[in-house]
Amino acid sequence: MELSPKHTLHWIGVTFILFPLLLLAGMFMRAIQANTLASTQSWFYPMMTLHGVGMAGLWWVASMACASRVLTRYTKPSAAVSTFALIGTILGVLLLLASVLFGRFAAGWYFLYPLPFSVGWPAWATLTFFVSLTVLGVTWLVWTLDLLRAIARKYTISQALGWHYIRGVEGPDVPPAILIVTTSLIAAVACLLAGVAVLLLFYYEMLTGTRNDALLMKNLTFLFGHLLVNLSLYLAVAVVYDTFPHYTGRPWHTNRVVAISWNAVLAIVLLAYFHHLYMDFVQPTSLQYVGQIASYMSSIPAAVVTVFGAVTIVYRAPVRWSLGFTLLFFGLMGWGIGGLGAVIDSTIALNSKFHNTLWVPAHFHSYMIEGLVLMVLGYFYHYCQERARMPESLPFQKTIVTLMLVGGYGFLLMFYLAGAQSVPRRYAIYPAELSHGAIYAGIAVVFAAVFLLGLLFYIYETGRNWVRAYGA
Amino acid sequence: MRKHIWAITALGILCAPWGRVSADVEAGRAAFQAKCMACHSVEVNGPVMLGPNLVGVTERRDEAWLIRWIMEPDRMLAEQDPIAVALLNQFNQIPMPPLGVSETEARDLLDYLADVSAQASATPAAAPAAAIPRPTGLAILTAGLGRTQLAGLVIFLGLSMAVVVAFWQVARSTRQPVPTIDMKAAYRLRRKFFIGTSVLVLGTLAATLPRTPYPDDLETPDELVYVTARQFGFLYSSEPITTDADIGQVPVTNTLEVPVGALVEFRVTSLDVTHNFALYDPDHVIVAQTQAMPGYVNRLRVRLAAPGVFRVLCLEYCGLAHHAMQSTLTARRLTDE
Repeated sequence: MELSPKHTLHWIGVTFILFPLLLLAGMFMRAIQANTLASTQSWFYPMMTLHGVGMAGLWWVASMACASRVLTRYTKPSAAVSTFALIGTILGVLLLLASVLFGRFAAGWYFLYPLPFSVGWPAWATLTFFVSLTVLGVTWLVWTLDLLRAIARKYTISQALGWHYIRGVEGPDVPPAILIVTTSLIAAVACLLAGVAVLLLFYYEMLTGTRNDALLMKNLTFLFGHLLVNLSLYLAVAVVYDTFPHYTGRPWHTNRVVAISWNAVLAIVLLAYFHHLYMDFVQPTSLQYVGQIASYMSSIPAAVVTVFGAVTIVYRAPVRWSLGFTLLFFGLMGWGIGGLGAVIDSTIALNSKFHNTLWVPAHFHSYMIEGLVLMVLGYFYHYCQERARMPESLPFQKTIVTLMLVGGYGFLLMFYLAGAQSVPRRYAIYPAELSHGAIYAGIAVVFAAVFLLGLLFYIYETGRNWVRAYGA
Repeated sequence: MRKHIWAITALGILCAPWGRVSADVEAGRAAFQAKCMACHSVEVNGPVMLGPNLVGVTERRDEAWLIRWIMEPDRMLAEQDPIAVALLNQFNQIPMPPLGVSETEARDLLDYLADVSAQASATPAAAPAAAIPRPTGLAILTAGLGRTQLAGLVIFLGLSMAVVVAFWQVARSTRQPVPTIDMKAAYRLRRKFFIGTSVLVLGTLAATLPRTPYPDDLETPDELVYVTARQFGFLYSSEPITTDADIGQVPVTNTLEVPVGALVEFRVTSLDVTHNFALYDPDHVIVAQTQAMPGYVNRLRVRLAAPGVFRVLCLEYCGLAHHAMQSTLTARRLTDE
């Protein structure tokens, strides 16, 4: 059975429900940090866990849904597996909600070993959290393998990775989306297997009482977490590659440079995660260097090939700046800006001043809120509008984008300024001498509300098309 | 020189009676250091940490209530004991955890607290610790902003503006569309962009990779401090602490003084979850940090150039009272003594 439009529309519906709620959870946290909701302070860390796991998971499935839809132009992902992925994701989310809302589980989105075994919440909440992640991990692994299977039905692995472009020999035309999705999904298998390994080691300790090695667990955890977020971005970039020509009228082909770049990304993305462990001085120093070199190198294919390629496609093109294209375009810009913040933090010499300050959420929120989110929302609008063809009001759509850019970047700037001013991340209450963190948090709530307003307008605008497309 | 490092506020009180007190008090001291010290101080004008300063607590509260509170705080909270609930509200909803303490151990703890309180009231109170100033007014805009952080921020904002301008120009260019663009010219530009980006990346790598915070084994530190992190406090000692049992055996404190100008090596580990040991200077700027990981010892070397009170914070999320996990370190010139 082929992937029907409703499969994609279901994922869009899930995103429209979960994203505003998780965004409110984030605003709730910043409001507590601003000392405006002090009586609810005990909910800060459970909400931090829900917000983090929820957002990382939501944008992974949203970008997978986009990639699945794009793949249907070239091959046939399984509809049954997509349905399985949807049901598994909903089940995993319900378990996560039970763990956090009823058990107050609060080990954070990357549940750093051995914190989940802490005494701050009941053991059943920890177990429920792990079962939730197991359901999600297994579901997403099956989904990932199915998309790779679909690609393999049409292309050999060397073709899908564009090696014939690199070797300069004849071969089939491989759309950039196929190349990028293949690269990302191969890395995703490694990512999800790392996640499964971490969970198995947690279960092993729960059952036997045998302590795990904290450094090994941290390496596996960040191999999983770092890859999950980065691969979500790459899948969204694949969608941009595939969708831009629709608006600009200019083709975006795979060529040798594009093939080399995305094959390089496959190697780089697996090694860059070491930058999360710079402050673990017992990690072999050679791996710390590898972390910085890989992090720096990742900027070259991203900036020189993808961003430059996008600029070339758009420059003086007869573009109609509808909501879909505008969000895709500014999503690429946000990805670039977030990348700059990430490269600065990935410098070992600077990391000892920025590590676990608000600079960290600053850069990853940059490439999430103003990068990945805009790209995915842009594609969602594009897809719904293409099917429903509701009339567009460009001034209203410009208002939506303006609200999301002003609100988003204002919100992010508060993170960057506070991070540069040494304010720690993940503090429910700031110490008196770092009380400037509370001021920035208060301003950030206002900007987040502006972003939320833009998002609600966006959901209205896209939702009109979604309803008609769903009923068709 | 090592003796200068242990000019300790709490330790004098905690360890002075060692060897000449009753067995109950001695057992209570060991239990306090092992189970209470991460969250409570017990000294006149001592710091209020996660929970109350316990000096004089045996006079403030009924003995039976204290024993039950030490043994089963969770039950008392569940029963809405008015004092327990008031403490919960006073201390940021952070509940006193069950410590797995028997009644005998609880009585030993009370003996110890009564003994320490009696000695504290018999000796002149130490001056309150100097408060770390809170930034106000325009100082809020520069608080915690060190030179490195400022450089990072300026570079980031500058490059980001360049990205925004480039995207803005490309967006504006679509007002004057053309059917095709000169792709050869675009590829030439891409080559220049690639060379420029590569030079920037390789140059920055060459300039920054040698500047790591990792210890240089060719250099010998002047001072050695063992730092043990646990939920939700730091313990300092002159000997390694690798298990909870070591805490009662090794003299420890939760505040520290180090000499200005000395190369101090902090050997940082954790007894429970992963923590972080971050030093903030008197201007609230991060000076240095490392992780505190169970089963591993991270060696952080720092040379503090000027005297002052430094705040120690945990920068790795470690549980429900993570934000309250802090300590102080005073850098003092040798001539001050």
